[in-house]
Amino acid sequence: MLLCCCTAAITFATNRSELPDTLTIEPSAAPVAIDLRPYVGSIEDATGRLTIDAATQLPFYLNSQLFHAAPRNNSKPNNCWIKLNIKNPGSTNASWLLFTGWHDFMYWYEQDPGKAPSLLVQTGLMLDRGGVERWNNYAFVADIPAHHTRTFYLHIINKSFNENPFEPTLYNSSAFVKFQNAQVEGYRRESVVILVLLGMLLVILGISIINYIQLPDRSYLYFAIYVLGLILFFALRLESKPYQLSFFHRWPMLKYYWDIPGLLFCFYLMYLLFGNAFLNLKERYPFMERVFTWVAAVVGGLILICIYLIAAEQYHLPTIIYGYVYFGTLVPLLAIFIALARRSQHHPLVKFFLFGSVCLYLACLGSFLIHVRPLGLVGALGELSAPTILLIGGILLQAFFVLAGLSYRNKLVHMERTRTQEMLIKQLNKNKELQRKLNEQLEELVKEQTTEILRKKQELEEQRKIQLETEYVKKLTEIELKAIRAQINPHFIFNCLNSIQLFVMQRDFEFAQKYLSDFSFLIRKTLDFSRRNFISLADEITYLNTYLGLERMRFENRMEYEVIVDPEIATAELEIPAMLLQPYVENAVKHGMTNPRQTLGKLSIRFTQIEPDMLECIVEDNGIGITRARALRSLPKHHQSSGMEISQNRADLLNKMYNTEIQIEVIDKSVEQECNSGTLIRILIPQL
Amino acid sequence: MVKAVIIDDERNSRDIIALMLEKYCPFVEIAAMATDCADGIARIREHRPQLVFLDLEMPDGTGFDILAATQAELSFEAIFVTAFEKKFLQIIRLSEVELILKPVDKESLLQAVGTVVRRVEEKVVTRRYQVLMENFNSQQHHHWQVIIADKDNQEQVIFLGEIEFFESADDQAVFYLRDGRAVAAAGSFRYYLELFSGLRFYQLNNTQIVRLSAVARLSGDGARAVLQNGQTLDISERRKKELLTRLHGEH
Repeated sequence: MLLCCCTAAITFATNRSELPDTLTIEPSAAPVAIDLRPYVGSIEDATGRLTIDAATQLPFYLNSQLFHAAPRNNSKPNNCWIKLNIKNPGSTNASWLLFTGWHDFMYWYEQDPGKAPSLLVQTGLMLDRGGVERWNNYAFVADIPAHHTRTFYLHIINKSFNENPFEPTLYNSSAFVKFQNAQVEGYRRESVVILVLLGMLLVILGISIINYIQLPDRSYLYFAIYVLGLILFFALRLESKPYQLSFFHRWPMLKYYWDIPGLLFCFYLMYLLFGNAFLNLKERYPFMERVFTWVAAVVGGLILICIYLIAAEQYHLPTIIYGYVYFGTLVPLLAIFIALARRSQHHPLVKFFLFGSVCLYLACLGSFLIHVRPLGLVGALGELSAPTILLIGGILLQAFFVLAGLSYRNKLVHMERTRTQEMLIKQLNKNKELQRKLNEQLEELVKEQTTEILRKKQELEEQRKIQLETEYVKKLTEIELKAIRAQINPHFIFNCLNSIQLFVMQRDFEFAQKYLSDFSFLIRKTLDFSRRNFISLADEITYLNTYLGLERMRFENRMEYEVIVDPEIATAELEIPAMLLQPYVENAVKHGMTNPRQTLGKLSIRFTQIEPDMLECIVEDNGIGITRARALRSLPKHHQSSGMEISQNRADLLNKMYNTEIQIEVIDKSVEQECNSGTLIRILIPQL
Repeated sequence: MVKAVIIDDERNSRDIIALMLEKYCPFVEIAAMATDCADGIARIREHRPQLVFLDLEMPDGTGFDILAATQAELSFEAIFVTAFEKKFLQIIRLSEVELILKPVDKESLLQAVGTVVRRVEEKVVTRRYQVLMENFNSQQHHHWQVIIADKDNQEQVIFLGEIEFFESADDQAVFYLRDGRAVAAAGSFRYYLELFSGLRFYQLNNTQIVRLSAVARLSGDGARAVLQNGQTLDISERRKKELLTRLHGEH
């Protein structure tokens, strides 16, 4: 920007009062160092476009303000030409050495009288890529034959605003050796300090890298990069120490590129990143973490801008930027330190970080203040990290603190890990315990469920049983109903009623009454018994007697019957299934009357106790026999209904329900004996 | 005088019929009484009665057996007397044969005897006993026949399977047959409604009764039954559901 402000025209120094004299000097053997200021004319070229040919045409004036013994900030690039006429009045060829200082670009021309100037040497901090010997190039050889005058031009360009001491001095060779020695000595102190620092930093770098390999923690990595940046930075500082061993002289521009950007990189970018990782700010202090990250990002941007500006040869701008950054962050840094200190008082890691940072901070500040006096406020900025003892001490202290912090952090991590492992072990044990308990519970559960399933199964079985029983009962009820219908044969009922009607019409009221009461008794008993599964034998006998009595009346005494009960049987106590016999008896009545060979139907019912727990009932008739009766069935098959069948079903059902063995046997007597006829029903009723 | 024979295996039954005939139907002369089938057939052949009182079940056979044995050679009117016979009730009534239930009451005796005596006096040729026997020997309802006296008092013998449906016309029943004939019965719709109950007929509405197997399908909304001959009959709302169950059972 300053360049833009410069006028396009060639401007000359303000002090142009006089033209310089020609230096007349004898070649001398004694060490001589001649201050050339009174003999050197100069031109300042603000445009930088002046060529050597053009420059020779211009007048060179004395300008003492151009020169200075100490480093100086020019606030602009310095592009100047100086002209020196040397006359050798002696008889021998004289060889002198002109030294003006360490500058960025230097071009040394010689002009023989009447000839065009020729370039003899070019060198410069930004130009020369030689080894240690390159520093000798800064002493320009002026060979002047005897009795001749030679004109020399030196074109000096200092692109950076900070200019090294600028004093044109002419040495003879022996004087220059002395000067050279003095320079070597003078810079050695600084370079040794830097080398020592580099050594220590290398050790620290090694430690960090090893630690990082051992324990891949990002803070180590950041720290290593930080240290590496510092190493590079200080190694490059060696580049501008005259006559000292340096490492990167092949790339003379590198020291400019890694000057301000290096500072920003090390002390801001990496430091912030390191702080972030080291202090675990993300977890501990998220706000600070965000601030750090943002500032680091901004600084990264600034670094890129600075590198670009350096590439564009705007060497002063990075300095200005750095100045702003430095002053801009001075107070915030302090605030951050305090905030960190307050926030994490009890955390030793923060203490380590803080101590280290404060050391560096103070060292930087001190170093800056030292430089302010000779260079001025702005000039000193560039030298903020000039390797003064103070700064080096600060950096080392800081590095040690950080290393200690890292070690402590390691310890913390280790402890954490141990604790975690312990917790893991505990957890594992707990898990085992839990698993054991769970297994137990599961077993318990399985057991319970098995029991439950068994119980359910049992229940189901019971239910099925109940259901079956219900079904049986239902069937039984149905069959009972059918049985009632079968027993109380409607024919019988209505025929009885018919008979009663007849007696009434014949006015045989007594008989009608007897008939009616017997009939009522029978109906009542039928209704009563049909609701019960078992009745006493006594009841059954009474019932059968009544029934048979009525039948006999109906059939005009064409039939006889007898009911014989084994006297041993306690008829009142013995129970038999209700309505089981009746159908057989009815059948016997019917068949007994259908035998053409027998005019008198004979019916016999016998109850015998054949075994202590077995009752035998026999119903016997003298009819045509069951086989013939069936064969002679008067009605077509589809019209039949059989009371006997119902009885058999009922017996089966009762057997199932009461788990008993009622047996019914139907015997046709004619099958056994030809002369006999009739049916014999044998019913075996086990006593429960 | 009408000559009659009483066949019953129970004396009481014979006696009461005889007693009641003597008392209420003096125009009936009891020629003989028999106690079983064989005896009965013999008595009928001997006396050639115009009227026979028949018990349904006897020790050596049934009333049907007597009919079967005698109808070919002799013609007489029969009145069945039974205590309780649900199954035969229907075929007897379908054949328009008279039936008296025990205990015998005066009104039914008079009515039955009256009807039969009228038939005897009018000497109408009848197929009813033949039909009765056929019905008795047939197991399937569809092969049963019904005797319908039409308005001209002509005896129409129709298979139940022939009837598509019958309806009430001025309280008289009109039968529509499969062959397209319509038979207007002398009997009331109500009489036939009762007669056909228990058979596979269903009353679709107040005036129409259909043979279930004649229904081909129901119309989409279920409001009409479509017969196999394409005729449609209305179904009253409250009978739809039951019709569906009955049809389901039928098919």
